[in-house]
Amino acid sequence: MNTVTPIVLEAAHVTCTVPQPAHAAPAKSPRPRAVRPWRRGASGDARSESHAAPGKTVFRDLSFTVHGGDIVDLIGPSGSGKSTLLTTLALLNPHATATLTLDGTDSAAMTPERWRRLVAYLPQRPTLIGETVRDAITLPFTLKVHQRDDAGAAVREPVPDEGMIRRTLDRVGCDDIELERPPQDLSVGQQARVCMLRTLLTKPRVMLADEVDAGLDDENADRVADILAYAAHQGMAIIRVRHRPADGRATRTWRLADGTLTELAAHDAHSNEEVAR
Amino acid sequence: MNDVVSANAGAYPIDGWGLLITVILVAVAAGMSFVMKLGVERRMLWATLRSLVQLLAMGYIIRFVIAWNNPWICFALIAVMIVAAVQITLTRASNIPKGLAPQVFLTLLVCVILQISVVIELIVRPKPWYAPAVLVTMAGMLLGNVVAATAVAMSRFFSDMKSRRYEVEMLLALGATPFEAAKPSIVSSVKMGMIPTISQLASSGIVLIPGMMAGQVIAGADPLTAAKYQFVVLAVISALTLIADSLIMVLVYRTSFTALDQYRAES
Repeated sequence: MNTVTPIVLEAAHVTCTVPQPAHAAPAKSPRPRAVRPWRRGASGDARSESHAAPGKTVFRDLSFTVHGGDIVDLIGPSGSGKSTLLTTLALLNPHATATLTLDGTDSAAMTPERWRRLVAYLPQRPTLIGETVRDAITLPFTLKVHQRDDAGAAVREPVPDEGMIRRTLDRVGCDDIELERPPQDLSVGQQARVCMLRTLLTKPRVMLADEVDAGLDDENADRVADILAYAAHQGMAIIRVRHRPADGRATRTWRLADGTLTELAAHDAHSNEEVAR
Repeated sequence: MNDVVSANAGAYPIDGWGLLITVILVAVAAGMSFVMKLGVERRMLWATLRSLVQLLAMGYIIRFVIAWNNPWICFALIAVMIVAAVQITLTRASNIPKGLAPQVFLTLLVCVILQISVVIELIVRPKPWYAPAVLVTMAGMLLGNVVAATAVAMSRFFSDMKSRRYEVEMLLALGATPFEAAKPSIVSSVKMGMIPTISQLASSGIVLIPGMMAGQVIAGADPLTAAKYQFVVLAVISALTLIADSLIMVLVYRTSFTALDQYRAES
């Protein structure tokens, strides 16, 4: 299947070095290794950016390509930098650098906002703002990136209407969610699904799902996976960080450990995942 | 205008005994705090002494500047006041990143220039145009208010951005610009900075007779003239404080983001 669908995302020289806190002894060699669990390059660990400490290299010079319709499971020990890799691909990580192209267009050729609108990072923690679920879902369309192109001309991007939102909600198994409810009243599982749907309705090319099924019961985790499978079916490329057992929806599996990324053959994926956990 | 200033001397001047009695009253209040273990007596006494020394010093300086009646001296004094105001703003605002002095300086400078050019020269029209008695006192009142408002707004902005961290990251991930991601914090910070100013404007004249009007009336000025003066000063200071609050937010919100529009969590 990968041979016929075009390459969507191409990444090279993907490197992330987190500055060490000033009080820590400088590492003797910048050997990539997983020292301790930490989240997203911009954590409390990295106190002073100006301090030119050698820093901890999370990963260096990774290269890979992702095709439309791919569902890539990203596995690896905790602290190996899986979330960091996703935020790097969305250009959200201040400590990372990468050469990225989307459908043949270099990331430098568009604004970071345009890139993030097309390569959408979905954070682990569901965050919904607005009075109602409807407001929360249509929030992205109030942003400039959906109203003007990079040259500043107005674009006519259709805002999903009531029926469209309802149909999509029902289709992805969210028929239990009423649009009039305040988003804070939803359960965590419902919030996770609404967050995913919010990103889905903006029709990105790549979706980077960061442990969005963590802390969900099996039923909700399965529904979340269904939404992603539906999106991949529409031609979206999906990379998801997961800590649960393989659910059979992934088309590829990558393992990130000690700063290197390995693609696992299909029959290895399951056993390797067992080892990783 | 000049008769208002000279009226000051004619009315009921306060002598050394007056100052002494005032300090004794503060000491009595501080003594009560000590007995009741309220714990504010030391700070109260220290603040009282500081304000006495600072106000007397300012009085001498303004008297000196009025006597010189030279525009350069007058503007030099205002420049010193602005620099001191920058320092006070930066120390008063808590938990803000380092290196914001240029932004604060620019904000205060714009306010003072607006005040001098628009308000003083268009509304009050003193003669000579640089009359130190008007320029220095007006700039002082403006700076006092603007310093309080911008310090509150900046503290609020950076703490609000920190508590909205997940929301900011979510918005950026959806393609929001730094301004769009920071906007809720900007709005709440400007509102918070403006609360004292607006409530002062709205409540003046009901129970509260503001200091400037009170001073003019005590000094023997026509209460209606004093009221008009006070309204102009309060309204102008409020407007300029709002401009200062908005300006400082526009100038500093970007420091929470990198050049690539990424959120700098540790700022």
